[in-house]
Amino acid sequence: MHEMSLALEIKAICERELAKLPESRLTALGVEVGAFSGVEVETLQFCLQVVMSEGFDGFRCEVVRQPGTAACLSCGLEFQVTQAPFECPRCGALAHGVSGGDSLHVSYIEVECE
Amino acid sequence: MSAERVDVKEKVLSASDQLAAEIRARLEANGVFAVNLISSPGSGKTTLLECTVDLMKESLRLGVVAGDVQTRNDADRLLRHEIPVEAIETGGGCHLDARQVSKSLEGLDLSKTDLLFIENVGNLVCPSSFDLGESMKVVLMSVTEGEDKPLKYPAAFKRARVLVLTKTDLVPHLQFSLDHAIENARAVNPDLTVFSTSSYTGEGLAEWTGWLAGQVAVLKRNKGSGESAGP
Repeated sequence: MHEMSLALEIKAICERELAKLPESRLTALGVEVGAFSGVEVETLQFCLQVVMSEGFDGFRCEVVRQPGTAACLSCGLEFQVTQAPFECPRCGALAHGVSGGDSLHVSYIEVECE
Repeated sequence: MSAERVDVKEKVLSASDQLAAEIRARLEANGVFAVNLISSPGSGKTTLLECTVDLMKESLRLGVVAGDVQTRNDADRLLRHEIPVEAIETGGGCHLDARQVSKSLEGLDLSKTDLLFIENVGNLVCPSSFDLGESMKVVLMSVTEGEDKPLKYPAAFKRARVLVLTKTDLVPHLQFSLDHAIENARAVNPDLTVFSTSSYTGEGLAEWTGWLAGQVAVLKRNKGSGESAGP
């Protein structure tokens, strides 16, 4: 359940951003979560609802899952993957290793200014 | 009233990563090589550490930060091996974080430490997300856990530099292929260095401790040459 720790960090980032924009209200929050970041998206969304309910309400939360990239050892095709094993969609061979998919970012916020 | 979109592009763990960077700087300044041990509960982290410190404590100055959800049992076991140990009880927390490690390092004399082991909370998911300022993550996997653990928990294996397979003395009693397990781990992370060990028979421990000693030596050499190259 480290999603709760992560939700608290996300809330702190929102608070810091909102402090730079006086008289504004959070209307949307965008978070990017890598497929190999070890974070469960639905759990994170639930934890965000819980921790954000104090201080923020009525905002839209968009969590985008970022895939990783694998390269086929046999035919060289690069393809996007979200879970192992990484089977090449063109020739069926297995790719070894995956790059990316580690992201865990607050990508944007949307605010309404008075 | 106007609506505005603000690009934030900030890592969720940026505050934690900053603290981890401070820990890394402290360790590097003292020439400490630090290993963050991650695994499922019961894979044999503490037992491997007990064997490892027995083999290495004569030649290197060791230290341990031992994390557990509750109890100081692991720390107490390691203290019997007459090395400095700091315990972290997370009180329900599923992973160690940089703040806890930073505080516990106050209890160790880093200027008199060559090799530091950080024994994370037994959990193959959450600890992999948190940088503790370590030199590298080492993931443990016992042969009783099943060959497909790396496919089920890719984050831990992807972020580790080393895989230590443990309890290999049990392989004859199991339907477990070491080769297949290693193949699965390398499918997620082809760069993994792999050690097959048994803390019960001692198999593979010389290779593991020899490799660790080599990492410490490289760090000391780089630090020495860096210092002599300065003004």
